[in-house]
Amino acid sequence: MISLAVIWLLQDLAQVLSMGVLLVPDFFLLTVAYGIVSGPLGKERISLWIWLAFAGGILWDFRWAVTPGISGLVNSLSVFAVYTAWAGTPVSGRGVWLFALLAGMAHLFSGMAHYITWAAASQAAVRMFFVQQLLGIPALAVACAVYLLRLNGSNV
Amino acid sequence: MAGKLNPILVNSLVAAFCGLMLMWFSYAFQYPARAAADKINSMLYYPELPARELRFLVQAADHWMAERKSLQERARMLEQENIALRTALQRSGVSPPQSVPGLLGASVTLRYPDAWWKEIRVDKGSLQGVMTGAPVLSDGFMIGRVSRIGENYAWIELVTSSTFLLAAVVVDTWDLGVINGDDIGNIWLMYMPPGKEFSNDMLVSTALVGDYLPPGIPLGLIAGPGETKDGLTPFRVASGARLTQLYNVQILLSSNEEGNSS
Repeated sequence: MISLAVIWLLQDLAQVLSMGVLLVPDFFLLTVAYGIVSGPLGKERISLWIWLAFAGGILWDFRWAVTPGISGLVNSLSVFAVYTAWAGTPVSGRGVWLFALLAGMAHLFSGMAHYITWAAASQAAVRMFFVQQLLGIPALAVACAVYLLRLNGSNV
Repeated sequence: MAGKLNPILVNSLVAAFCGLMLMWFSYAFQYPARAAADKINSMLYYPELPARELRFLVQAADHWMAERKSLQERARMLEQENIALRTALQRSGVSPPQSVPGLLGASVTLRYPDAWWKEIRVDKGSLQGVMTGAPVLSDGFMIGRVSRIGENYAWIELVTSSTFLLAAVVVDTWDLGVINGDDIGNIWLMYMPPGKEFSNDMLVSTALVGDYLPPGIPLGLIAGPGETKDGLTPFRVASGARLTQLYNVQILLSSNEEGNSS
């Protein structure tokens, strides 16, 4: 939970640094997706992740003056979708590629939801959306690398 | 029935509903939403301070770089404009070449830096009656003679060239000598008899050499003795022409050519 707070703060600091230039990728949501798949799929644990994702989203909305509630809504639905797909996949099929797909889709869904709720859909907004998604690729790669490291560590 | 509900699904739906409600609430009651946003912003003020300062620093550096580039560009433009104005000013003070009977006005078109004191090129040639060996004047003083000609140009060997040799006479004393340059801007009156002394400002002019070079053309004024070698003392001659600023010259036409042209 502390690491999640740190990731949220790092994303916030990155956004402060790049304010007016670009939208930083949603590191927080990627971390939540990683948190879902990297542990047991117990009901209490997943429910806690859902509310953590919701709280992080709400804080982000208030901090960055986007429509308050939108990130909370998107995050909770994204986390539920990631959980459902991950839990519905046989254990043998759960791997880094599935994680990359689910986390990537969650990131894309979050970005699109924010883009749709922006007041003015200008060319600059489209560019910022695509830049955010492109920057999300290396972030996703890092998340996948962490997942693989954890997987290898648990196999030893 | 209620016990069969998936708690994860319930939590997700409740969270999503809360999000929706919050969206509606913040739309319907803007003041509380803004107050909450202000509260969170003030809480994050200090944690964000380093990032904010760093951003200001980067922006300041970016502005400084842009301003520096703009100033450099402006300085370059002003420098070019200054050079153009200087050139225009210099040219405006130069009168066009004057032709008088027997003297053909010509403009200097080329003067190599590495042969600055040796030769110049002018825009008149054989089609205008210029002949090899003809004396060339500026401000009434001989500054050289034609060494090579083309149809529309001629090369002038300057009196300051070390290869320039011409018989000359000190007008006041009728002493004969040879005018010679040294490639660094000086003119020397050579081969004067030993023990000769000349006062400054004595006029040196051409001696009778041949048909193509009439005697009595001023070359310059005695400006003092040089270093004695082998018993001979050369005398420095100061040209009456501004040899460093040759824009226009006059070429002496031969009497035959003058007769033809008239």
